[in-house]
Amino acid sequence: MKFDLIDTVLEQSPDRIVAIKQVSLAEEYLADHFPSFPVLPGVLMVETMVQAARRLLADRGDSRLVLGEVKGLKFGSFVRPGESLTVDVTVTGSEDGTYQCRGKGRVLRHDRECPDETAVSGRFTMRPIRRTLPKQLTRLQET
Amino acid sequence: MPDSAVLTQDEILEKTREVLMEALVLDADEVTPEASLTTDLQAESIDFLDIVFRLEKTFSTEDKPFKIEPGELFPDNLLENPEWVQEGKLTDAGMAMLKERMPHVDFTEFDQDRNVEKVAANITVSSLVTFIDRKLSA
Amino acid sequence: MRWMWIDQIVELVPGKRMVAIKNVSLAEEYLHDHFAADGKLEALPVYPASLMIEGMAQTAGILVGAARDFKEKVILAKIMRAVIDGDVFPGQTIRYEASIDHLDTAGAATTGVVSRTEAASGQWEVIAHIDLLFSHADQTMTGVEVPEHNFVFGENLKIILQSAGLAGAITADH
Repeated sequence: MKFDLIDTVLEQSPDRIVAIKQVSLAEEYLADHFPSFPVLPGVLMVETMVQAARRLLADRGDSRLVLGEVKGLKFGSFVRPGESLTVDVTVTGSEDGTYQCRGKGRVLRHDRECPDETAVSGRFTMRPIRRTLPKQLTRLQET
Repeated sequence: MPDSAVLTQDEILEKTREVLMEALVLDADEVTPEASLTTDLQAESIDFLDIVFRLEKTFSTEDKPFKIEPGELFPDNLLENPEWVQEGKLTDAGMAMLKERMPHVDFTEFDQDRNVEKVAANITVSSLVTFIDRKLSA
Repeated sequence: MRWMWIDQIVELVPGKRMVAIKNVSLAEEYLHDHFAADGKLEALPVYPASLMIEGMAQTAGILVGAARDFKEKVILAKIMRAVIDGDVFPGQTIRYEASIDHLDTAGAATTGVVSRTEAASGQWEVIAHIDLLFSHADQTMTGVEVPEHNFVFGENLKIILQSAGLAGAITADH
């Protein structure tokens, strides 16, 4: 699969980006997820928000930020082939090269009578790539 | 050991607030006793499952497991029963059932409206504390 | 590509714990986009954290599903918390260890530890913690349409279960 999940950027400002990912039966992974009920996997909704955030933050120096943390991220409606996921990601803070973000994804249906529904919402953090582990793993010790 | 001592309402409130802050990713000042879980804190049905699991973990002790049965905190499946709900509104029998099943919630104001979609909105942080307190004392 | 993000089940304690591994190889195409050479920067293949979350979701989801004979439609409903402190590169292997924290008719909560190793080094280091919440689709997803049959646990799963000697766990009517 081509790992490009952003198809269109609708809006972009220094702290916020709105972008779309189209879902099509032509995408290979749908054959397995699920064979009789193809839907966009939840983690690809997360990846769409991560890629949107990466684009947004590219101007701040590091163009290869990766996902470092996720908090309270819930999934709602399914996104099916022929539908799209519109993600709205905002940067809420930053600290030492790490950026806190909040994102929400809505289902866009081509039948205009259906109201948009929330497919995903939650918070996440973007950080630089790490080959070695940080000396302080304080977070991992928390239960 | 202090563990087996009965928790005060204040202690229950503090632990409950921590659970809600974790589950709903909120700051301390957002989780006030009067806050409605759904209307003010944006909790959805999947969050209720998360909250129930975390409360069970928080309030269980070695001697006394704390288990919340599905529907015990909020009887969502009962609201599909035509005896309790007619045309989107709670019947008299429905209101009586709610008061019996959810003694931890104050339904006085809701009695004027009775819109079934608004039942969950009446669960506030303090009614959650009352629910836990009753269960712990049982 | 297949949507299968674990390669082998290494250990299963029914109802409690499961360990699975995934090899990361340059033969996997998406790694060539993540990240591709870009003007001044060389290509840098690094395993996407979102797929690490999926690996844990598949490990934990199978553990939860097996606990109720794969009769429930186990759907990932919430990522309660994921902390990914280190990254994974081609040539390394990922190890997912999932435990059930809570399980009832409505769904399940799992905790998980992710470790990585260099091939043949024998040394594992913990790089992430991923805690997930699953719902049993028929029980709690009122209002969201799901098919009658169990679409979650199908043919692909059997391949993984077979090599772990667990294929008999899914009955014919799935």
